[in-house]
Amino acid sequence: MRKWLMLLLAVMVAIVLAACTTSGSSDSGEQNDGGEEASGGEKVLKLNNGSEPTSLDPPIGFDSYSWNVLNNLMEGMTRLDESHEPAAATAEKWDVSEDGTVYTFHIREDANWSNGDPVTAGDFEFAWKRLVDPEVASPAAFLGYFIEGAEAFNNGEGSEDDVMVEAVDEKTLEVTLTAPTGYFLHVTSNPAFFPINEEVQSENEEWFAEADSFVGNGPFQLAEWTHDSELVMEKNDEYWDADTVKLDKVEWAMVNDTNTEYQMYESGDLDTSDIPSEMSEELIDSENVVIEEQAGTHFYRFNVNEEPFTNEKIRKAFAMAVNQEEIVEYVTKNKEEPAYGFVSYGFADPSGEDFRDKNGDLVEYDPEQAKQLLEEGMEEEGYEELPKVTLTYNTSDVNKSIAETVQSMYKENLDVDITLENTEWNVFLQDQKDLKHQLSRSSFLADYADPINFLESFTTDSSMNRTGWSNEEYDKLIQQAKSEADEEQRFEYMYEAEKILFEEMPLFPIHFYNQVVLQKDEVENIVRHPVGYLELKWADKN
Amino acid sequence: MTKYIIKRFLIMIGTVLIIATLTFFLMHAIPGSPFNEERSSNEVVQANLEAHYHLNEPLFIQYLIYLKSIATLDFGPSIKHPTQTVNDLLGRGFPISFELGIVTILVAVFSGIILGVLAALKHNGIIDYLAMTIAVLGISIPNFVLATLLIQKLAVDWDIFPAATWSSPVHMVLPTLALATGPMAIIARLTRSSMLEVLTQDYIKTARAKGLMPYKIIIKHALKNALMPVVTILGTLLAGILTGTFVIEKIFAIPGMGRYFIESINQRDYPVIMGTTVFYSFFLVFMLFLVDIAYGLLDPRIKMHKKEGE
Repeated sequence: MRKWLMLLLAVMVAIVLAACTTSGSSDSGEQNDGGEEASGGEKVLKLNNGSEPTSLDPPIGFDSYSWNVLNNLMEGMTRLDESHEPAAATAEKWDVSEDGTVYTFHIREDANWSNGDPVTAGDFEFAWKRLVDPEVASPAAFLGYFIEGAEAFNNGEGSEDDVMVEAVDEKTLEVTLTAPTGYFLHVTSNPAFFPINEEVQSENEEWFAEADSFVGNGPFQLAEWTHDSELVMEKNDEYWDADTVKLDKVEWAMVNDTNTEYQMYESGDLDTSDIPSEMSEELIDSENVVIEEQAGTHFYRFNVNEEPFTNEKIRKAFAMAVNQEEIVEYVTKNKEEPAYGFVSYGFADPSGEDFRDKNGDLVEYDPEQAKQLLEEGMEEEGYEELPKVTLTYNTSDVNKSIAETVQSMYKENLDVDITLENTEWNVFLQDQKDLKHQLSRSSFLADYADPINFLESFTTDSSMNRTGWSNEEYDKLIQQAKSEADEEQRFEYMYEAEKILFEEMPLFPIHFYNQVVLQKDEVENIVRHPVGYLELKWADKN
Repeated sequence: MTKYIIKRFLIMIGTVLIIATLTFFLMHAIPGSPFNEERSSNEVVQANLEAHYHLNEPLFIQYLIYLKSIATLDFGPSIKHPTQTVNDLLGRGFPISFELGIVTILVAVFSGIILGVLAALKHNGIIDYLAMTIAVLGISIPNFVLATLLIQKLAVDWDIFPAATWSSPVHMVLPTLALATGPMAIIARLTRSSMLEVLTQDYIKTARAKGLMPYKIIIKHALKNALMPVVTILGTLLAGILTGTFVIEKIFAIPGMGRYFIESINQRDYPVIMGTTVFYSFFLVFMLFLVDIAYGLLDPRIKMHKKEGE
């Protein structure tokens, strides 16, 4: 017995000692035998989804946990291609009426469900009406408002029959939009617009809850789903373009801790990983890092109802005293693009010029002018002393470092002391909506690929406004842009609107988002769209 | 005894009810809602969602609905994972947390008692210092630090154990070690100090004088009495560990129920908050009840006292 005890003791001591010596050293990365294939020649990609998908019911799981998975299990009328443009998918071709409001989709003959049923126009009609059915209560329902009659049905004023989407025959779907929407083909690639096999749904309302009952029409099919721990997809032989799909299997772990994720990547249990924020400095320049743009903006909101930000000049002063480039370079260290406008890069106007380049830098770092504007503003308001300013952010390390940097920039450039305050995420959101903040950290990620999605956030009645700012001309320009059929004119309206936004400055931008991932050398062609969800159709692993 | 058990049981139910009620009103008093999102959220969509989950009803009605759900033990669907009910989540997560918890407790109790006894017997000797050094390290290194170090060394560098996830017994080794070290240290220290106290008692001297075998004295006479404080903390420890630990489960990606405690609150997933709270409080109260009974078995004086009190 004593021997056994000593052994146990020895083991414990060894572990504690070993554990102590490792702290600080980070000599990992010698292993390169990591990603062994499970069995001879089978191509298995190992990814981490971060968490259990909220729901694989297309209109319900409105988040990346659900839709990164779902995007590979199903397919809409269109699918985003490698250059992020919508391309023919379940629909082989489509016609658009002259005024741009009626889309007629022709579904390809060989589009089948994973159970062998043909994908019909009826499946799409059923799914799109279900998206905006108030009973279904989809959080993504507003994406369906492009369709005539959808909003009325969703808010209870109209009926299902008035939603203008109709299966003309087995393979033809006609949909009428409220206004010409040039980016509608991009919208139809969104998982909210995936078809639903009506027959399957009527037999089992919860078909999406388990692997054996799941019926999709995408490049992969759901093979196994151990809730909260693992999800396995296999190549779907019924898929019309199955020859293109190279992977045999995709295994998704659900690891919700970036450090663990990174350690699993290091030990070969994962093929890709996020970078733990405290390691970004040392890893960001390594060979295995893949950086893609993401359409979205990190910005700060002013509350224009709260002094001193009721004054436009003071808002401008606070905006111009922040050095975006320094924040990106020394604080976030994640290779983001500093932002000097609200709409991110990647949206070309009809002449092919990028929206961001064309509309230029609408705010610039200029401490001297900032200081002068502050003085002028204070004079206008009759302030002897600037009212107290509190900057609020939701609790997180990155938000904290950015806020502290901004605080010191105000001290240095404006000689103003501001107070920092952090609150829990949900409380923060509630307070921001209720306009209880003065100056607060914010972010925006595009739901669909058009500058209007960015700009519509700041109309008077938008739930995303959260600044108290209201400008009639701005509202009107957004309205006009939404109903304009002529693309050139539409972009003119949007350029104009963004300029107004920065003339009055109810917000100021920090940086545009990007997607940074570590990825093993043998992995190829995973497509990460600036707007959209993870794409594995073309992915390969050698 | 039966009367005592019945009485204790009724008190238990009452306690759980009070906890449940307090939680319900506290939970609704926190600002925020399950549907708060950073992104644009259309008001109509919001209203439809609230109606779907009865969140538009007056608070009192919601309370009644909730009381009914406790009575029927059916907490309904989770708001954040709408295709799953709270019962699904608990039913799936609890066995896993329980499995990890039992192994952890066994490891902690056995190694803790052994360390403690050894330390007490070799009082102020090398073994004592060694054991207590381990104990102090165990108490002072937080388990999440230990967990990360264990993964880095044993999984990434030496490749002996898998880094994370939960699919075979081998996957249990690292989380068990990380989780057991703290409780083991506490138990070792408790055992040591109460052993030291007991060993100076007269009846131990008597036993020695009678010429009993040393191991018999230690196990039968000394340890039995020295374990009382250990049993006391075991109740709380059991309830805490068996229902899962958020941090360890998160680090090792273990699909237990520990994370629901934290995540449900962050997400304001009301049904899950209520489900986990009621479940946990019932479990805790039940464990304390078991500990009380164990006292009676270990020390007859306690039973007598309680009987007199009735």
